[in-house]
Order: sequence, then C-alpha cells, then structure tokens
Amino acid sequence: MSEPQEAALLSKVASEVFAGIIAPALENAPHIQAAEHDVLAKEDVLVRMERELKRALQKTPAERRWVMVIDLRRCIGCHACTIACVAENKLPPGVVYRPVLTEELGKYPHVTYRFLPKPCMQCENAPCTPVCPVHATYTNEEGVIVVDYDQCIGCRACISACPYASRTFDFGINYTDKTVDGLPMMLGSSQAGKYETAGAAFEYGERRERKKEESPIGNVRKCHFCLHRIKEGILPACTTTCIGRATFFGDANDPDSLVSELIAKPNVMRLKEDLGTEPRVYYLV
Amino acid sequence: MTNPESANSKKTLSRRDFLKISGIAGGTLAVLGNLPQGRAAILQALNLSESTEFFEAKPENQIYTVCLQCNTGCGIKVKLYEGIAAKIDGNPYSPWTLWPHISYQTPVKEAATIEGGLCPKGQSGIQSVYDPYRLVSVLKRKPGTKRGEGQWVTISFEQAIDEIVNGGDLFGEGKVEGFKDLYAIKDPDLMKQMGAAVKAIWDEKDPEKKKELVKKFQEDFKDHLDKLIDPEHPDLGPKNNQFAFVWGRMKNGREDLVKRFVGQAFGSLNYNGHTTICQGSLYFTGKQMSSKWNPQTGQFDSGDKFYWQADTGNSEFVIYAGVNLYDANYGPPQRVPKATQASVDGRKFAVIDPRLSKLAARAWKWVPIKPGTDAAFAMGMIRWIFENERYNKNYLAIANQAAAVAAGEPNYSNAAWLVKIKDGKPTTFLRASEIGLVEAQTETNAEGKEVTVYVAKDGTKFSSDVPVILMDGKPFAFDPLDPEAAAAVGEVLVNTQLGEFEVKSSLQILREEAEKHTIAEWAEICGVKADDIILLAHEFTSHGRKAAIDIHRGPSQHTNGFYNNNAYYALNLLIGNFDYAGGTIKLSTYNRLGEKKGQPFPVNSMIEGALSPFGIDILRTKVAYEKTTLFNPEKPYPTKRPWFPIATDIYQEDIPSMGDAYPYQIKIFMHYMNGMAYSLPAAQTVIDILADPKKIPLIIASDIYVGETSTYADYIFPDLSYLERWEFHGSHPSVPWKVENVRQPAISLPNWPTVKVFGEEIPLSFEALLLGIAERLNLAGFGPNGLGQGIPYTRPEDFYLKEVANIAFGEKEDGSDAVPEADDEELRIFREARRFLPPSVFDEKRWKAAVGNDDSLWRRVVYVLNRGGRYQDFAKAYKGDQVANKYGRLINLYHEKTYKAVNTMTGEHMFGCATYIPAGLDYSGQAIKDDGYDLHLITYKTITMTKSRTISNYWLLSVLGEGYVLINSEDARQRGIRHGDLVRLSSASNPEGVWDVKNGRKIPVVGKAYVTEGIRPGVVAFPLGFGHWAAGSSDIFIDGQLVKGDARRAVPLHANVVMRADPVTKNVSLSDLVGGSAVFYDTKVKVEKV
Repeated sequence: MSEPQEAALLSKVASEVFAGIIAPALENAPHIQAAEHDVLAKEDVLVRMERELKRALQKTPAERRWVMVIDLRRCIGCHACTIACVAENKLPPGVVYRPVLTEELGKYPHVTYRFLPKPCMQCENAPCTPVCPVHATYTNEEGVIVVDYDQCIGCRACISACPYASRTFDFGINYTDKTVDGLPMMLGSSQAGKYETAGAAFEYGERRERKKEESPIGNVRKCHFCLHRIKEGILPACTTTCIGRATFFGDANDPDSLVSELIAKPNVMRLKEDLGTEPRVYYLV
Repeated sequence: MTNPESANSKKTLSRRDFLKISGIAGGTLAVLGNLPQGRAAILQALNLSESTEFFEAKPENQIYTVCLQCNTGCGIKVKLYEGIAAKIDGNPYSPWTLWPHISYQTPVKEAATIEGGLCPKGQSGIQSVYDPYRLVSVLKRKPGTKRGEGQWVTISFEQAIDEIVNGGDLFGEGKVEGFKDLYAIKDPDLMKQMGAAVKAIWDEKDPEKKKELVKKFQEDFKDHLDKLIDPEHPDLGPKNNQFAFVWGRMKNGREDLVKRFVGQAFGSLNYNGHTTICQGSLYFTGKQMSSKWNPQTGQFDSGDKFYWQADTGNSEFVIYAGVNLYDANYGPPQRVPKATQASVDGRKFAVIDPRLSKLAARAWKWVPIKPGTDAAFAMGMIRWIFENERYNKNYLAIANQAAAVAAGEPNYSNAAWLVKIKDGKPTTFLRASEIGLVEAQTETNAEGKEVTVYVAKDGTKFSSDVPVILMDGKPFAFDPLDPEAAAAVGEVLVNTQLGEFEVKSSLQILREEAEKHTIAEWAEICGVKADDIILLAHEFTSHGRKAAIDIHRGPSQHTNGFYNNNAYYALNLLIGNFDYAGGTIKLSTYNRLGEKKGQPFPVNSMIEGALSPFGIDILRTKVAYEKTTLFNPEKPYPTKRPWFPIATDIYQEDIPSMGDAYPYQIKIFMHYMNGMAYSLPAAQTVIDILADPKKIPLIIASDIYVGETSTYADYIFPDLSYLERWEFHGSHPSVPWKVENVRQPAISLPNWPTVKVFGEEIPLSFEALLLGIAERLNLAGFGPNGLGQGIPYTRPEDFYLKEVANIAFGEKEDGSDAVPEADDEELRIFREARRFLPPSVFDEKRWKAAVGNDDSLWRRVVYVLNRGGRYQDFAKAYKGDQVANKYGRLINLYHEKTYKAVNTMTGEHMFGCATYIPAGLDYSGQAIKDDGYDLHLITYKTITMTKSRTISNYWLLSVLGEGYVLINSEDARQRGIRHGDLVRLSSASNPEGVWDVKNGRKIPVVGKAYVTEGIRPGVVAFPLGFGHWAAGSSDIFIDGQLVKGDARRAVPLHANVVMRADPVTKNVSLSDLVGGSAVFYDTKVKVEKV
C-alpha cells in the first residue's frame, strides 16, 4: 500500500462514524454470563469473585455496594498488591495507593511478623471529602471515593484530613527520570519510559498521557478500587494479584457474594472504628 | 471527567478524544512501514480508536507467555497498549496462578477478564524489559583498554561475527584465536572414530595396555593429531573442546539450541549450566536416589537429575527445611495460596531455618537451626521414629516392582536390599551369585547370541546377577523391575552373616547412622531443643502419607549438602509418602523434543552431519578420573582440582578450571544471561580470572545490558528480554499437573535492530549470534537445510515452533492426546493480538511453514500459543490418594553408585547413604577454622529481588531499596551496633571486606545493620540482589560517550565476595564435592561498625 493510500485509510477509519460502525464488533470481550456452576467443585476465589462481579454489574451502580475484605492470616507481606496497583495505575514515585505495613513482634525465639495492607478505607463517613474546597473529591454513587483530576487544585487539605494516611500527592516525577537517554546504543528513557507516560493508565476510565503540568500531576491521588477495571468486569489489581488470596472484593449488597459471607464472620474488624468513619474495607484477623 | 456519572458512563468518542486520535495517527504513519500490509494497517488504525478505551479486558490486547523475573515460570498475560507491554497479570490457564486453574478448553475470549495471582516481581517485569540501560548495539571492548575498565566501542553485528570467527589481533594485545581456529574436526566420521578409540582407552583397565592403546590411537590418526588438544592425551579431545559455553538462566528451547550449536554443530562437549549455585546438591541427591537398576548388566545406570517437593496443597503437615516459600522457591504464586489456606484451615507446618522467614513467622513451629546441621536434625528424627516404630514397615519391605504392583503401591525402595559390609563400612549390594543363590550359565538367545543368564535352584532365570533380600528368614534373589516376577517383600532391619559376607539391609544402615548419637546429642549439634526434634518427628509420623519434608537451598548449599538432602529424603521414605497426594511428588512435562512415537518433529535428530563430541569436559564430570590417561597410578590422589563423578554443571568450577587450564585451556568462552561474577560465592576468584586475557583469550557475552559478568567480556551481543523471545519453561516438582509453559514474543521494542543471517531478517538476539556464527562456519544443523533436506533453520521460530507443535500433538502415537484446533475466532484473536509485532518477529506464513504448513497442526499450535502453554486439567492430577503423574519406580535409600564414586581429592569412596558429616570442609576434607571470625554468614531472598537481575525494577526498589545485614539484637549489643549503623563484613579469605572489581576500583562490603529478633544469635544474613557495580549502576564509556550510571542501582550490599574461598585450591568457593553445590552458608565473618 502506498503512503497516500495509507493516509486515506487512516483518516477514514479514525473518523467517528467509521469507528461507530466497526468498533462495536471489535469491542468488548464477551462478558461471561453468570453461568450455572457446580457448587461442589473446587474453585479459586478469584474465579468466584470474578463471576460475582459480572453479576453485580448487571445492577445499576446505586444498587451495589463495593467492599473489600483483607484476611490478615493469609497476608504474607509480599507487596504484590502494592506493585500491581502501581503498575495498573502507572503511579509515579511517592504515590502509593496500597502500602503494606510490616512489623516485627516478640523476642527471639518467640518472634513473628505482622503485615497490614492499607488501601483507602472508602469510608461511609469520609473525613476527607468535606474539606475539599473545590468539591473535587467525593463519594460516587457506588460508594467509592474518587478524585476529579480536572477539578483538583492540589491543595492537599484532604491528605491531612484522612485518618488513615491513604492519600498521596503526585509531584510529577517518573521512575525513569534521570536515566540514560539519547545514546544510539542504549534503549534510553524516552523509549523505555513509555509505559509510564504514553497513556496506558486509565484511572476513572480516562486515558491520560503523563505530561508536565497536566493532571494528575499536581493532584492528590488515592485508591479508587480500580473503578476502571470493575467497569470492564475485572477485579481490582490488588485483588487478582494477591498470591496469598488475602484480598477479597465484591458487592456487599449481594447476599450470595463471598464478601457478604466474610464480613459476617466473628473475626472481622475495621481500622479505627472508634472514629465512626465506617470504612468499606474490612479485615479478618 | 466533570460529574459523578462520568466514571460509570458508557464511553463515547468525544471531540477531545477524537482530536487525540488524529494527533496520534499522524505520528503512527511513520511506523506503518514496518507492519504487514493491508489488514494489519487496518487493525493498527482501528486500534487507534481503541486507544482511548481501557485496553486490558480485550483478548485482542493480550498475549499469554511465561514470566522470567525468577525461575518459577508463572504463566502471565501481557496486556498490550499500542504495542507496549502495559500491564502483566497471571495466566488463568496456568496452575501457577490459579488454584484450581481454569479448564484448558475455556475459550480465550472468556478468559480475557480472569487473571491469576502474580508476585511483585512478576508485576514489575515491565521494568526489566523497558530498562533504559538495555543495549541495542553490539559492543566490543575498546582496543587498548583492559577487561572491566568500562570502555567500549560499538561495532556492527556483521563485523563482530567476522572478528570472533576469524580472530586476529583484536585488542592490540596480540593474536586471538577465533572460532575457525578451534573448529578443528569437521568430519563427523573422523570424530566418531576418534571418540570410539578414546572410549576403548578408557575402558582398558590395565595401565600398560592403556598406554599401548594411546600409541595405537596416535598411529591410527597420525594425520589428524594436530586437531587434538594434546596428542599425548588424546582423551582431552579435539581442539573443538576449547570452546566452552556456560549459561546462567537459560531455559529449554534455547538450551536445546545451545546443545545443538555447541555439541552437534561445533563438536565441543563443553557446555554447562549453573545448577550448583541454585540447589545443585538437591538435584544430584535426586539423581543418586533415582539411579536405575539395569537388568542386563546387573548394575545401576544413571538416575535423573531432578528432585522431589511436597504436594503443598494436600499435605496435612509439612516441614519446610531451608525453604523460603513466601519469598522465593518455586514459587510464591504457585505455592503460597496452598500454604496460607493450610494456615487458615489449622493445618500445621514447621520451618527449619536459622532466620525467621515470613514463612517461619506463620509456622506452627520455627526451628532456628545452626546452619549446616540439617542432617543431624534429620538423624535425630530418624532415631526417634525407629525407637518408636513409627515408620511404614509394610511399604519399606516392598523390594521390587512386582511386590509394589501386588500391594497397590506406586513405587518401592531398596530399604530391604542387602548391602555387603567391609571393615564396618557398607559397600555394594550383595549379588545372588555371591552366596550361591544363582549360577551363571551361558545360553543362546533368540537372536542367536551367546548370553550369560543367572539361574536359581528353582529354575528361575535372571538376565543378570540380581540383588538379595531376607524373606521369611531366608536369602531370596529377585528381579527388581519385572512386574511379572515373584514379589519380593523383605525384612527391613537385617544385620547378619550370609556365607562369607557380613550384610545389612539399607534400612539397617540408615538406622545405625541415626544411632551414632542420642537425640539429645543430635539436638546439641543442631543447637536446638531435643523436644523440638521429638515434636516434629511425632507430628511428621501422625498423618499417614499426607505429610512431607520439603527442602531446597538451605540444606543444599553446604559442603555436606548432598547428605543433608539425603537425610531429609530418607525421612520421607520412612513414611512412604512418595507419589502420594499430600506427600512428596515430582514434576511432569509434555515432550517438546518430539521423542515420543508419532510426534511430528524429533528435533534433535533432524540434523545431517552432526558431530559427536568426545573427551574430558572442563568440569571433569563425564568420565571417571581413574579411567583417563590423566590418572597417574604412582600418585593418583589428590588431583589438581576435584573430579565430579556424580554431579554435573559445576558452575563455580568453570572459571577456576579455565584459570588453571585444568584439564586444558579454554580459548573461547561464551556466556549467556550469566551473573557468575556477581552470584558465585567467593566471586573475587572468578573476577580475577575473567579479567585476565592470558587465561581466557576471548570472552563473548550475550546479555541485555552491561552486567557484572559481561563487563569482563570482549564482545557483548544484545539479547531480547523474556517478553520478546521464545523458550519453554518446564515445570517444578511441587506442580502435580503435567504441563509445558511456552514463552513467546509478546512485544517487540520500538526500533529494535534486525540483522541478516542466511538471508533472513531476524531480530538482533542470542539466536542471531549463534546463527551468524553457524553461517560463517557452515556448521551442520543450521541454514536452508538445517533441520533436514529442504527444512530450514534460518530463523528462531523454525526450531521453536516445531517444539510447540510437539507439545500440541501430545504423546500418543494416534494423536488422541493432541490439543483441540483453534477455531476461526481464536485464529482471529491470535492474529490481532500480534498486530504490533513486526514481520521480522511475527509472520503468520513463516510460522505456519515452520510446522510444515499443516493447517490442522498449525491450529493446534495456535491453541497452545493462545494459552501460553499446555496444562493438564485440574482434576487429572490425582487418582485416589496417589498422584497421576508418578515417579513410580525404585527409590534408592542406599545408592551403590555413590559408594562406587571416588572423591579424587582424598581417594576415598563416597558414602552411599544418608549420614551426618559436619559442614565447612575444604577441598581436602579438612575442617576450616577461621579464628577471630565469629559470626556465621547466610543469605536469603526477599520476594522483591531475584539474584542478579531485578535491580532495574524501580518499582521493587520502592518497596525495599537496599540490602541490610540482619543481626540478632544480642550480637548487635555486644558489638555496639545499632539499627541502621553501617557495618563491614569480612572473612579469612577476604579480610579487607571488599570487591576488587579491577582497574583500581574496589567496593567495600558495607551496608546498614538491621537489628532483629528474627535470626538465630551467632548468625548474620543479607538478601541477594543488591550491591551492583555494573548493570547500569556505574559509569561506562561507549564510543567515548559517558553513560552515566544510576545511583539507585548501586545501593548496598552484596557480600558473596566474603564467602570462604577454598584454602586448598585458593581460587574457588567451598563446594560439596559429592553433590556439587557451591557453598553459600559455611562462612564465618566478622561484622564491624564503620
């Protein structure tokens, strides 16, 4: 194909009309219907939760209540969730949505470690949202606390307000900054760093190239339960990557969901319950 | 986003999005020239309209392949955004990431939104691939500069190949021999004849006759003596052997290529891997315990280089000994969910480890053992089990296959077989003829050949002189293998005299080893409580076959590693848990080499004019010293360096052997993904030799950057990363399913260079390097007829896709084991997912042609590739209480082959059974005493680091940014060390505590102290992966331009260099001379505040 032909083709297919005709056929992996399944068959909880997620998506957003449950007995402090979240959302240095706190307890030889993964608690009574002077952070109708990057002015009032230290600030640096570049025999940061900057992050369902002085640089950033994945029928990144199977996610309004079962267990607790924040993140201890 | 609804609103193409598309379209035109025409252009264009939509959920944006951030080999799905590997998650078809994994028959469309667990390294793989410091051009050491000086020049691929093939004065240091100089014997017949003559020399036992055979050799091949390394010692082999290839992390596929290239094509027998720095002695314990009875010779043939692990998911109780399950091992995504489930279910596990690993922190019992005393702990348990008769007597009594079949047992052991005792020491198994149970007779077989048979008094005929058990109080000769033979069920504890022989059963020998000390004494040796030995022994024997001891590096990497492993495996044998669900299991893979009947491509035999390398290998592993012409009957022992009659791939011996030119000089050393200068214990000895061109005249590296080892190379050929290439990752012993993991190109880096070999355009890569050399030398096995007449081997996939086809076909001759054909929809997804790959990587026509243009086979290949491998269904791994993929044969509690081997440093026979030998011996077998060095150094891994190649992963460094020296609070207090203080490590063989990386640069072994309760007092530990001095961590010059290093990659600390060097040879780490392991855990160090 000659170059002018290619250009003509491109201009054609890039038109909204053409995309409207072709895209639906290509779009969307078929969403698995909540098929009947064998209740006796052993099944990875990730597969079960995936099925339950698809079921929840058939409801209207206001009808579902996303919660997360973290079983501390299963957490091995591996930080897969921390990194999967960074990789999913292309978080820059200093921005962490899902830290895991590690603590050593006891005296030799009676010693152990304690691990605490700590995403945003997605509080029912969130102390962080009322303090925002521009209403850039609020609870969406599914109960997830979001940040409107285009509204956020980066004042960081919400960071101070959060009792769980779940909010961080994007100072605009990248992991590949200051690495080698511009030499013909090396890959170099401008090629290598594209995974950070080329727009593969889809927080809130929006593609954003990472450019100086453009959001989310200069914004407050926080865990959003991977709303952009949920919408497409994929569980949050921290949940699927968890090798200890310590993280559970689902719709607490679905009485048959795994999370509904788990939050009714006697060993369930939430962080800083005395504050009355009513977190949507539960822990099993 | 401007209102709360927009986060959930259906995506429509807004004006803003549209403008973005147009903008990108302009930029994309330029690269369209690289894409397949027409269709791909449309797809490419369509993708632009996708680019504003979240890409992860679509199967057209996913390619399934296999992780290589460590060696676990988790199945992954690479999610592509505009051709970038933008996110990596677990492959749900793979048993590594889901438990159970989804059915293999699940359409890829349905799997698109299901993802399995993956560890943080797996998630970070993107940063290994998109590493700014990756090389995209061939580098040559700048003439006039020294190895390791960091001065390079770029050179074209063609020129580089020319130089290494032809040699010459390449560095201004005089003539360097190239490949053509070492490619001495090219004639396959000549090599075969010489090899046969050498074998005859080796097989001759009489020293005088041996000499005559050498003379005869020199006469017979007088026209070709110039092709030998040394005509006085023809068994050193041809000059071809002076090319050696040593790999670090290489997997099958590429390993198959290397064996083809180095062995069959170039004719050198010097190629080896790095087994002994991983858990070598564990593999070779497995090899000896699996050595096979040969019914024709009545001797044991070699066993399999393998090992067993616990069936984590089904065990009621596991003892993890030196196993770091939650951070490393094989590997976290696969084993962790099973272990955490056990925790929640209340199933116990115990951990034997001097350090409180994360696994130990969750254990029912943590036993902080003194390093190197594992066999003593095991012996304590064995003693208690014997004293309390809690061993599985019925199982252990089963002495042959026939008895196992009758009892419904999956395997059997030689616990009841009788061993001859000489001077109180066990020797070889008693053979039936030795006590007159059988008589040798000569008869003519069906083919008219005279053969010796052994006939018992009742007329039973055996094809060889068989072993003996005591059955019903009488000696009984039996056929070990024939399932139709008489069942042999023996007495298990025998200590008696038969004829002129004192004999003991194998189990009796084990028992006596355990009885050498009381349980209290064993506990004292291990520095643990006797109660803990008893508690573990009791628990271990309280779950029938659903208990296991799982072992790995911890017990293995000591000078007594082989026997530590053997002792733990003996415990597994005592409860008879091999091949049982919840017991001890082995791996199982689909045959990729096409060795099964009916498989389409028997790749190893698809070669014309293959050479058959012969001689002594540089590691001295392939022939017994005593057979060779180097054996000196006057002064046989010690040899200059040890020979290894049992183990192979003795990685720590490669460079020192080259340094000593023992048994001969290596002139060209090529290495691949090789971190030896960084990863080996006592690595200074390696660096000293690598940096000296007089010792190794030409070093060629295949690497993705200038790493710690390639920094001492003369040429570096850039390689593809794990997301850009082919490999077959195989499996691990804790995986009960039959599988094969297929690594395949998922991406191609922007502007990645291509080269021309055999007229084909292929990516600059390891394959290009070997194909390039093969083309210049016209080597067999490569080129237009490389895989047989008319079957080319000119591109990487010509070979690899044939292996995929074998896997797809399966192992039944009638094809009934084949995977389904991909339907049109799966083919469409397959193509579209590869729309960003350039034709030099993906060209469907070429790929299909590589499997013979057989449409049905091609569709099956696509079916496998679409799933990243082949995985047996979850339910098929077990049959009743046993595993389906069984080991299923003789397990040697006593291994005669080990006894028959001789340690060439001492001249003594090796011991053929589990035993306790103290750790920390030098090459002459003497205990090392390093007075003044009072702390015991060990290493560990954190889940965020692989040994040498994850320092480029900045995401991981954000979790743990440097390596600390773990020290118990009591030890720290005594030395005035506080948390975070800088401390220096030193040892008797490295009193200064430095890495001398040459050319005036020294790196102190200094890092921060981490004061903890989680380590045994007297032991200090550091994590592997930090303390780099190359790999983008420091400045180098290429073409005179400064390439500035990144300080984040230079963080402390790496202390392998202070590990004890052997005081006898002085140029290698300590080693387990039986099992081959390089020793990481037998060094005493000083820790001082700086």
